[in-house]
Amino acid sequence: MTINTEIQISNEATEARQRMRNRKVRNFFQSFFSHALINFVGLFFLVPFLWMLITAFKSNQDIFHTPPRWLPYDNVLAEINGEQLPMYNVQTEKGVKQLAAVKILEGVGTFVDPSNPSQVLEYEIQQGDKKIAEPIMHISFRWQNFPDAMNRASRPSIDASFWVYFKNSLIIAFFTIVGTLVSNTPVAYAFARLKFPGRDVLFVIVLATMMLPYQVTMIPLYLFFNNFLHWGDTFLPIIVPAFFANAYDVFLLRQFFRTIPEEMCDAARVDGASEWQIFTQLVIPLSTPVLATVTVFTFLWAWNDFTGPLLFLTSPKHFTMALGLQDFQSQRTLVWNQLMAAATIFTIPIVVAFFFAQKTFIQGIKLTGSKE
Amino acid sequence: MNKKLFTSLIILVIISMLLTACSGKAAEPEVLRVWIQWGDNPQQIQTLFDKYTAETGIKVEVTAPLEVDKILPALTGSEPPDVLVLSGGDLVKSYYKEGLVDDLTGAVQSGKIDLTDFFEAPLDQCKMGDKLLCLPWGTDMYALFWNKDLFEAAGLDPETPPATMEQLAEFSDKLTKVAADGSLEQIGFLPDMGWDHSDLYINMYDGFWYNEDGTKMTANSQPVVDALTWQQQFYTKYGVDNVMSFSSGWADTYMSADYPFYTGKLAMYVDGEWMTGPNFISAFKPEASYGVAPFPPPADHPERANTAVVQGTVAVIPSGAANKEASAKLLAWMMSPAVVAEEFCFNANLPTSKKAAEDPCFTNNPKFKVFTDLISSPNAKIIVTTPISLEFNDAWGLVIEQVLHTGMDPKPVLDELQATFEPKLAEANK
Amino acid sequence: MDAPRMNSRKFIWPPKFPKWGYQNRINFKIGMLFLLPWTIGFIVFTLYPMVASLIYSFTIYHARQPLEWNGIKNYTDLLTDDLFWTALYNTIYMVIIGVPLTLFSSFFCAVLLNLKVRGQAYYRLIYFLPSIVPTVASTILWLWILNPQAGILNILLGYVGIDGPNWMTNPAWSKPGLILLGMWGMGNTIVIYLSGLQDVPTSLIEAAELDGANWWQRLWNITIPMVSPITLFNLVTGVIFMFQYFAQAYVFRGFQNLGYPLNSTLFYSVLLYQNAFQWLKLGYASAMAWVLFIIILVCTLALLKISDRFTYYAG
Repeated sequence: MTINTEIQISNEATEARQRMRNRKVRNFFQSFFSHALINFVGLFFLVPFLWMLITAFKSNQDIFHTPPRWLPYDNVLAEINGEQLPMYNVQTEKGVKQLAAVKILEGVGTFVDPSNPSQVLEYEIQQGDKKIAEPIMHISFRWQNFPDAMNRASRPSIDASFWVYFKNSLIIAFFTIVGTLVSNTPVAYAFARLKFPGRDVLFVIVLATMMLPYQVTMIPLYLFFNNFLHWGDTFLPIIVPAFFANAYDVFLLRQFFRTIPEEMCDAARVDGASEWQIFTQLVIPLSTPVLATVTVFTFLWAWNDFTGPLLFLTSPKHFTMALGLQDFQSQRTLVWNQLMAAATIFTIPIVVAFFFAQKTFIQGIKLTGSKE
Repeated sequence: MNKKLFTSLIILVIISMLLTACSGKAAEPEVLRVWIQWGDNPQQIQTLFDKYTAETGIKVEVTAPLEVDKILPALTGSEPPDVLVLSGGDLVKSYYKEGLVDDLTGAVQSGKIDLTDFFEAPLDQCKMGDKLLCLPWGTDMYALFWNKDLFEAAGLDPETPPATMEQLAEFSDKLTKVAADGSLEQIGFLPDMGWDHSDLYINMYDGFWYNEDGTKMTANSQPVVDALTWQQQFYTKYGVDNVMSFSSGWADTYMSADYPFYTGKLAMYVDGEWMTGPNFISAFKPEASYGVAPFPPPADHPERANTAVVQGTVAVIPSGAANKEASAKLLAWMMSPAVVAEEFCFNANLPTSKKAAEDPCFTNNPKFKVFTDLISSPNAKIIVTTPISLEFNDAWGLVIEQVLHTGMDPKPVLDELQATFEPKLAEANK
Repeated sequence: MDAPRMNSRKFIWPPKFPKWGYQNRINFKIGMLFLLPWTIGFIVFTLYPMVASLIYSFTIYHARQPLEWNGIKNYTDLLTDDLFWTALYNTIYMVIIGVPLTLFSSFFCAVLLNLKVRGQAYYRLIYFLPSIVPTVASTILWLWILNPQAGILNILLGYVGIDGPNWMTNPAWSKPGLILLGMWGMGNTIVIYLSGLQDVPTSLIEAAELDGANWWQRLWNITIPMVSPITLFNLVTGVIFMFQYFAQAYVFRGFQNLGYPLNSTLFYSVLLYQNAFQWLKLGYASAMAWVLFIIILVCTLALLKISDRFTYYAG
């Protein structure tokens, strides 16, 4: 090889290395930029979540602390004579002392020196602008908020607490799921695999009902359930309609049933099986994925449902969690920490269900958005 | 075989439905339901009504407090409560017009309720002609509350409240703290803290939305305009946005320790007598050092001192109640002096029964005494109500928002209000 | 049997149904049996209420007295009702601003989540999780976040020197606050877009890359058209949902009047609820419901018609 080509080759090699380095740098920046962007946008989704959790752990005094702190603070407590008393920094004649507050009434606090529990001192909490006594706070996660929130009702009421609301939500969700599965599957199967005159016309009608806003049927149904059937303040107006099929689930299930090979059903028909037998013994067992999807979605919908309970449930002891939370927030007793604690507990079952059924969740959403 | 499975599944489904139906509507005989719109301490109320159960064996189920939009559906539905206690009597005439509540004259007789035992003012709000639409159960009066610590800090005598409405505005100026960037740190007086108190202010200017017997609409009369203008200054002086920003979410914390009156963000405001009782300040912020005094009159009308508006919770019997006899008996029991004394001693409300008012618990609390004096003052006024109160009140809420929260000029807003509701009132009174 | 007549396009009245053979009758019976739950449900929970509410919409409802016929006065009263127009404006605001904004943002997020970076599974989880938080809980959470004093949004804005508005008390900012709440929960829209993005054939993308197209051109000319059916689907469902917007607005106002502040959150469904259950004007509310139905119908059909030109169906 001549010297020129060697130089040429080595020049090309350097250029190639340079290009590769440029590309690596560009890739690095691209990757860095992508990561940064995804993280930044992700913060929008993540931070409210974290904020909900953190507020749930804050103590009452800490909620409106300005500026708001990320970590929850709570009173430092001292044990005196078997009682847990909050500690205060009190400005006394002899300088600032740390005393435990026994009782505070109408602006005057009764304090006790932990080192000398028998001596009782009284100080005004605030004189004009000057704070004489200030509570001592430290970082502390107030787990107590959770049982406090759950044992409380949205109104300090009788027979009602968030535990009761939780139970009510579970009951409604359970029966709604049962009703949905039992009623939608035969209907969807009929539209998917049975041939009968008028099938397609009826299916169009089914789809058309999806376009009907619930406001149109809401008022007569309300009067019907409340005044005619006397089902007011029970779960029935919410549960019973679930036993009569709905357009969304029929559509979803039909899409899935159509993927079951026609030949299998035909073979069974030739063997003399009735349609019902084909349905229950052949199609249903094959449909467990979509049935799981419908279960998960129905649970999510029933757990979330607010308008139904709002219309029909009047006694607090029948409230569902959704209604109870809204009621809690509207009762002018806005203790944000307990409210957030209750909201967290409200969210937990869904998150748990999601983790167990991730694939079915995503699959179901994709099915609803499928182009067919 | 599968047909059997199917049918058995259907039967299972139907049974489970019936079970939920039955458990929800266990037809227990002899359960009376009392719904109370307010609910400072529902546990205590239920304990009170348990005494009725002890006396008569009839179980009483208390639901309290109530969402405002549950009341009307309940009254019109097929299963209204047996006795309904409303936070105020202003909607009773509207309900009566729609045939939702009964005239209580019959119940008074069958339950042997002594009408002379009631204070006149609260009972008057229930009368419509010769009909009695409700019975007052506890009365509320409103007065001025102030934070003594903040007064001291601002250089004012903590024991001396403002003597006139103009002085109130002056005090409020001294008590309002503005930070360097224009935002607020402390508000001296907020006229609509908690809820609208226009009825008090308009009466201080010697007027109201209606004329005295509720036959004419006076929504744009001078007293109303004056009252709104006076209220507006507390918002516009420091910038409506600043005030709104600082005070947003305040009303949500009414029953918690974060209430701005407790946390030193609000120095003065108007509230009711229950605050001096065990369920509010003492419960949420015992370390608060506060004072109570009658709301001051305008400087040029000292004769209007001790004007206060009598508002009361009232009990009605829904026209759809199942057993009117039982409702009447329960109502009579509720109105008996002993029960009134017990319930309102506990909750620190003004008793509506003269005999109950003699109970020492009402006279011992010096702050509460401010209110008992007000109720017997010659300037105690009642709220005039009409059959269109339901719609009007909602429209008034919007007016308050427009005038106070956005600083609109009150006169045109009120003119429009008058134009809208004058025909409606004429129509309703026909 | 006659040969089928191809030119018999005459309109036959009364319509003659083909005579059903034995098999058809059996099939029909079986079909109806399977459809029984839906049929009963349709008659009781759909057909009857539709007819009933249509009738109510021409009456004035009285609780303990018979219905009072009112002709079309309910409908004409709507036209002069200020609240009706306010509610319509508020709802259309959300439809025109909220829906496209949400669609655009969820597409953007889906594109982000489709990039080849490590930890995508975690990111997807984070983006999706808020959408399964129950509506009431997330609304209350955002009430807390939007609190002008202690809410974290204004605090974070303060860090970058922006003076956050009064989200809940300023009528101009209450709807944007609600839109933010909606965008927080757009996870399921993102997932639908994501699956659509993954269906875009990589061969197309690579071919474009080879041809020298940069990422923007690839996005604009290939990806977006390929997911246009999904965009259409999300758009239509989003519009239909937004016209019926209720629960969030109801919870958002706390214990204040519905529509607080200053009727800025008075959406169509909220006004309907108010008329029906706070003022007991059930006839008027029924008229509102039917007007809503017609509006939704018209908008959906219009969308579908216009979309024909913009959507591209691959195969």
